[in-house]
Amino acid sequence: MPISALYYDGKISRAHHVTLSVQEDIAYIHGDIERSCPLCELRVSERTRHAGRKITFPDEAYLDIQDIVAFERLLSETGFTDSSIVRAQQSWRGTCIALALTIFLLITGYLYGLPLAAKTIAGILPDHVEHAISNGLLDFMDKRLLTPSKLPSARQAEISARFATLTPPFEGVPEYRIVYRNSNIGPNAFALPSGEIVMTDQLVDLMDNDEQILAILAHELGHLHEHHMMQRIIQSSAVSAMVTLMFGDVSAIVANIPTVMLDMHYSREAEREADDYAIAMLKANRITVTEMANGLDKLQAVIRDDPAGSWLSSHPSTHERIERIRHAE
Amino acid sequence: MPSHPASSPITEHDHPQHFYFHGTGSEYFRIWIVNLLLSIITFGIYSAWAKVRRTRYFYNSTRVAGSNFEYHGNPMAILKGRIIAFSLIALYNLAFDISGLLSLLMIIAVMAAAPWLIWKSLQFKLYNSSYRGIRFGFRGSLPDVYRVYLLWPLLSVCSAMLLAPLTHQRMKKFQHEESRFGSTHFSFHATVGRFYLAYLTMFAIWLTGIVVISLTLGGSTLTVFADERNSMSDPIAVTAFFTFMLSLYAWLFVLFPLFTTLLQNLIWNNTCLCPHRFTSDMKWPRMVFIAVTNIVAIICTLGLFTPFAHIRTLKYRLECMTLLPAGSLDAFVADTQIKASATGEGMTDLLDFDLSL
Repeated sequence: MPISALYYDGKISRAHHVTLSVQEDIAYIHGDIERSCPLCELRVSERTRHAGRKITFPDEAYLDIQDIVAFERLLSETGFTDSSIVRAQQSWRGTCIALALTIFLLITGYLYGLPLAAKTIAGILPDHVEHAISNGLLDFMDKRLLTPSKLPSARQAEISARFATLTPPFEGVPEYRIVYRNSNIGPNAFALPSGEIVMTDQLVDLMDNDEQILAILAHELGHLHEHHMMQRIIQSSAVSAMVTLMFGDVSAIVANIPTVMLDMHYSREAEREADDYAIAMLKANRITVTEMANGLDKLQAVIRDDPAGSWLSSHPSTHERIERIRHAE
Repeated sequence: MPSHPASSPITEHDHPQHFYFHGTGSEYFRIWIVNLLLSIITFGIYSAWAKVRRTRYFYNSTRVAGSNFEYHGNPMAILKGRIIAFSLIALYNLAFDISGLLSLLMIIAVMAAAPWLIWKSLQFKLYNSSYRGIRFGFRGSLPDVYRVYLLWPLLSVCSAMLLAPLTHQRMKKFQHEESRFGSTHFSFHATVGRFYLAYLTMFAIWLTGIVVISLTLGGSTLTVFADERNSMSDPIAVTAFFTFMLSLYAWLFVLFPLFTTLLQNLIWNNTCLCPHRFTSDMKWPRMVFIAVTNIVAIICTLGLFTPFAHIRTLKYRLECMTLLPAGSLDAFVADTQIKASATGEGMTDLLDFDLSL
């Protein structure tokens, strides 16, 4: 049974009324235009619910099918089948499977694939690239958050020297340099990818003894050893690239919310690893691990008094960490 | 079944032809999720095919005067463009991390290449679009491209954005006047004055909002801060401060659809495919409603509403448009067709430029 269609020849915008019929794998066009073409040279547009169907000829002329129902029948008679992708798109079952698989892949990728990849990349990245990333970071902080240390230089040298005598627990000790600063943001210590471990006067004053200070330095050295900052940078860029890929059309506001939230999880992992490093280092040098827990306890007490201060704010569940360290004794 | 417009494309028509968009959120959602899965499994390679399928869906769902549009983009070409773009972006970021001089050179190189890329992207996009079997096209000359996409933006920045409306007008004029349907050129009549008027209107509304927000919320924030010396640790002060900032942000967000509305109407009411004209009568309350509800729904559904949101916006924007034919639409003739490369296309869609309007 012939199917009515509009024929556009690709040269002029005029529609020609035609009918389409198929005999022995050849399509015949009759009406305003007479034409025939083997089926294998024709391209049928993908099935969608509302958009109608088109058949395109090799020379870009095309048929706009008017009678969709009859055309679908013709397609099945000629043995045409939609691609599996189109079928999946058209069925809710296929869609649900795709949705479930996508969510599964995203979650496993985020929980296992991404940390592994970031760790590997951070590990093999040349040192100078890692250093270059935080170039100028200390300068920047010196201008905004930090002022020169008020600690006597003899005391600074004493701490640094004592830390230098400790044997690191693992091979491949990262290059590091301890710098002392007075902090505008409360007791704090952090490691920059360029190898500086920044120790604040406030933290030195807060600690009861040198062992606690050494424990903190060991913890920071652990961050350097594991390239945590670099891993975080890699992970958050990957997450934001993925989010942009998925929701790129939506405004950046929404796109950035998940990126920020997803980033939280990793710092917890990193803290645990750095704690393990510090514990190993203390044990290797016969310093009681309890001192580290005591130091954290003190710090936590101070932070609780001052909600704005935040050595711990990016170090979630300090309580859990202290428990872990005491357990490691 | 959808109700197709009753008009037959064969009859000569002189009455307005509305644009219709038949795409639905649920259907696009299915296309989106299946293609997203394939893109993830193939580490992004399939995304070029996904883009073609998506664009085809949009084009096929758009109907005016009884016919719909067609997209001819070749996925392989888009994939190549994306690979080049991806390498360039990686290189760009790396240069930033390595040395200051290198990153400066990179910025200059990107600025020098951007106009050319935008040009190629426009050519690719238009060349691969057709209506009633006739392809669109884009001409433009190299000096014009650099004048419009480099010189004017630079002048605009140097003038503290005072020249921004003028720059915008020059861009749109260039984009529309160099576009053609078959061998027929589009023309563009919106004057610089109209662009300034649109920008001034926006600015006035923005300023009014800022003043109102500052007087109501900002005032109370200040008093709270004045009371407490140790301001940031006080929860009331923090809440007041965040409410204030959030209101400013929300206001900017509400204004964006308004801007889209003003400009789409201005641009399309002044574009013609002579002698046929277009009209666009977007209403901004409706557009703001769509944008706000979209964002809320996207957040509440953790992103699953995204394809629905996309369709809602597109449907509204398209269905506000009307073609006013002056005589028959049957006489457009195809141009001697030139191929367009996809490097520009891949590049600009990675950088997420919206060049469509």
